[in-house]
Amino acid sequence: MSSFLIAILVIAGLLAVWVVSSYNGLIGMIEAVDNNKRQIDIQLDRRFKVFQSLIEAVKQYMDYEKTTLKDVVALRNQATAAQASGDEKARIAAENGISKIASGLSVVFEQYPDLKAGQNVLQLQEEIVNTENKLTYSKQAYNDSIERFNAKKKSFFESMLVKFFAAQLDKTYEYWALLEGQVKVQEDYTVKF
Amino acid sequence: MDFKDYHKTAGNWRLELARNARKTKQVIALFFLIYCFVGLIVDVVVLQSMYPGGTLSVYLKALLTFKAVPYATIIMLIIAWISLMITYAMYDKIMLLGTEYREILPNNAQSLQEKQLYNVVEEMKVASGLKFMPKVYLIEANYMNAFASGYSEKSAMVAITRGLMEKLDRAELTAVMAHELSHIRHQDIKLTLMVAVLSNILLMVIDVLFYSVFFGRNDGDKKRDNSIVMVVMILRYVLPLITVVLALFLSRTREYMADSGCVELMRDNDPMARALLKISEDHEANADAYQQEYGRTPHEQVRQASYLFDPSSIDPIKSLNNLFSTHPAIDDRLKAIGFKKK
Repeated sequence: MSSFLIAILVIAGLLAVWVVSSYNGLIGMIEAVDNNKRQIDIQLDRRFKVFQSLIEAVKQYMDYEKTTLKDVVALRNQATAAQASGDEKARIAAENGISKIASGLSVVFEQYPDLKAGQNVLQLQEEIVNTENKLTYSKQAYNDSIERFNAKKKSFFESMLVKFFAAQLDKTYEYWALLEGQVKVQEDYTVKF
Repeated sequence: MDFKDYHKTAGNWRLELARNARKTKQVIALFFLIYCFVGLIVDVVVLQSMYPGGTLSVYLKALLTFKAVPYATIIMLIIAWISLMITYAMYDKIMLLGTEYREILPNNAQSLQEKQLYNVVEEMKVASGLKFMPKVYLIEANYMNAFASGYSEKSAMVAITRGLMEKLDRAELTAVMAHELSHIRHQDIKLTLMVAVLSNILLMVIDVLFYSVFFGRNDGDKKRDNSIVMVVMILRYVLPLITVVLALFLSRTREYMADSGCVELMRDNDPMARALLKISEDHEANADAYQQEYGRTPHEQVRQASYLFDPSSIDPIKSLNNLFSTHPAIDDRLKAIGFKKK
């Protein structure tokens, strides 16, 4: 009888250890997802600032900038408004608009040989590539952390734990993705000279 | 060896990462078992001196059922833990020993390339979700190589030679840095240090044991169990070999993991493959010059296992035996990320 009791106690102890470590692991993953989402915001904010100063810097070479700057500011305002009202889709659309202007900027550089030859512009291009890459990678990191969380959350045993602590653990995150209609447009998009 | 000689497939980095993580766990478990086994053998010898007359199996049974407390095993585990903590605390910057280096910061980059180097490290840091920015060092050397060290905010660093920075394009540079950051986020430095420290303790213990069994006081007619002497003798000659082979197997496993980790971060296996081929081609083309340059750099051995590309593989004799190499062969590394030789 006593050995039976000991066996029960040992199993209960192991179960408690598993519950605590799984719970803590899931909480860590949720926080990572939230943090990675903020990382996208940080990179978006950085891009806005970098592009504004870039446009300021190339102003002397082209009149292109006036409309571009206006566009960037307008899109940025849309994005901020959408973020404030919680409309995730409109926000993604506005941010993607800014991305297109970035590739437009690269094309503009091609049209000004003396500008292109300069070391400054190489630096600017490096800055644009760096900025866009960071933004892309932060989105990728966000999606990766969602993948890890979802895989854990939906796997067997953990899913029961999630149901039990639904308030704390049962979070649903949407992958960062293009809108349905936009996928087609982006796929067909090519740079025209 | 040209990029055109390889078939490109997508490769499956998730599978590769999982497989190598499993291998690591097996190696660590095996290592732990060997450590405990040696501890138990020490305990057996101690027990025998206190209660002579038993056989190996009797002593082992008593220890494993806790009828006798395995003091030596416990003491060895505590010593291991303490020396690991000391090593982790002291281990900082050893890796740059002997090289001529300079830290790259966002505001002290002297050329566009250096700025680009810092940028790609930052990009990969964002992609991997690391919570700290590793220090970036540029080593003034012509050979193409890079390495990473550390695992925490304080000690994390990546270092790259000027030769590598100048000869790779942006994507290839990113791939190399992704490989190095993967070593940091997989905590490979901690693992390598752990295996090195434990191996050394193990070898010291078995040496002491060997001499005490053979040359220690043998109180006249006390009969020793010959099988204990046999086990100690075999261990003394086999253990050094086993620890080295295990450590090298682990090192190769972690290289594969870092390559797959690079593909995970970049979602593209092309740049890593191109960089690896470029580096090995370059090492072949300049074998003599580089060997001299490596030879001139003091303390080269502290970096060998951490390098992106193992310089000793230029030397054909050393690279013959894959069992004793810190890095897998280039073809095997390419195959693991999805490039098959035509």
